[in-house]
Amino acid sequence: MPHKLATDDLTLVKRVRSGDQRAFKLLVERYQRKVYAVALGMLKDKEEAMDVSQEAFVKVYKYLDHFKGDASFYTWLYRITSNICIDVLRKRRGGGGDPVEFDETQAVDLSEARIGALGSRLGTNPQKSALRKELAEKIQEALATVPEKHRAILLLREIEGMSYEDLARTLDIPKGTVMSRLFHARAKVQKILSDYLELDEAKSGVGGE
Amino acid sequence: MAGNPACERFIPLLSPYIDGELPPAERVTVERHLTACRDCTGRAADLRAESGLLRVGLDMAVDDVDFKDFAQKVMARVTPEKPPLLERLRLALSEMFLYQRTAMLSSLATAAVLVLVGLPLLLSQRAPVGYAGERMTVKAIQPYAGAHVAPVVMETDNGGSIIWMVDEQEAPDANGGGARPPRDEADSEELGMEPDTQAPGATPAKPAGPGAPRPTGGAL
Repeated sequence: MPHKLATDDLTLVKRVRSGDQRAFKLLVERYQRKVYAVALGMLKDKEEAMDVSQEAFVKVYKYLDHFKGDASFYTWLYRITSNICIDVLRKRRGGGGDPVEFDETQAVDLSEARIGALGSRLGTNPQKSALRKELAEKIQEALATVPEKHRAILLLREIEGMSYEDLARTLDIPKGTVMSRLFHARAKVQKILSDYLELDEAKSGVGGE
Repeated sequence: MAGNPACERFIPLLSPYIDGELPPAERVTVERHLTACRDCTGRAADLRAESGLLRVGLDMAVDDVDFKDFAQKVMARVTPEKPPLLERLRLALSEMFLYQRTAMLSSLATAAVLVLVGLPLLLSQRAPVGYAGERMTVKAIQPYAGAHVAPVVMETDNGGSIIWMVDEQEAPDANGGGARPPRDEADSEELGMEPDTQAPGATPAKPAGPGAPRPTGGAL
């Protein structure tokens, strides 16, 4: 199928700089869903996620002259988005205190989770139609238990499919840190989800038709 | 089951493995372990399932949201706000009055004079109704004295002229028709006079006055 090649981000950025407002609208439309998904995954609140998404784009526009163009536009956009989210979470906690962090020196204990439970229940690529709303909500709950910096990495990886290299650039951390944070975040979410599914399975077993 | 000491080394590598982020050499090592370890195969499958679940779950949550006005709202925030047209006009005018009062007053006075003088002029230059040419205006009517049949010439402002043939002795509807009795017979009948006794020159030629026939917009 012939597909009209979309104008790349950097060309659009150049157009915005020369005063073309429509080019910025195109960038917004290109990333609005994903930026919102990251914000929602970070904040768990729909309205807050919407506000943050708008704020992120407004900030991007305001500081477009600071964008060097040596990195991708989207890594810069997501960096701004995740920073705003982290600020919001900090304010939510009441301004003070550091967020809970994983002790990454400790070995992750995966023995509690039933190995293969998620995989056997869902397959490698669950379909949207098969996924229940309840489970989708559980995902957001599970994400909320992950420390915010780890959460940001996990979300950017899953939503945008960012490479470890891009994740390192976006969040300004070494690639090794990306790898370990991602691993810990996944272990945590996996534990909650498999527990939920196991419980769900047991429930439906008891009350089955 | 999870107690295989070799797994400890491989578990942290499973996440970058499913992401395709391991260097080739490490990837081969992990794959070799996976063929021999059912637990780690299950763990890798779990990681893939979780990844898919997150992606699809978040996608589902985003599907609930209407992005129709999103870009518009962002654009409204980044575009400098413009007050409504009337408000802008009011502001501009009040600024002008503040800083250029004399200039404003004199131009307003000029505008008023233009309206007072120009409007009646414009209105007076209307063409009479019934004359096809819109630019045509009757400037003068010249009756010819001493003729039975007097032409009435009307000059128009575009250089043309309209000539009306008017019977001096007739009633205002002079252009009634051509099938009338000869003029002198009619005169004698009406006035009871001998046509011979009166010189033709003495026939009273009515000046173009109140009694003069008025041309109307009839057929030419």
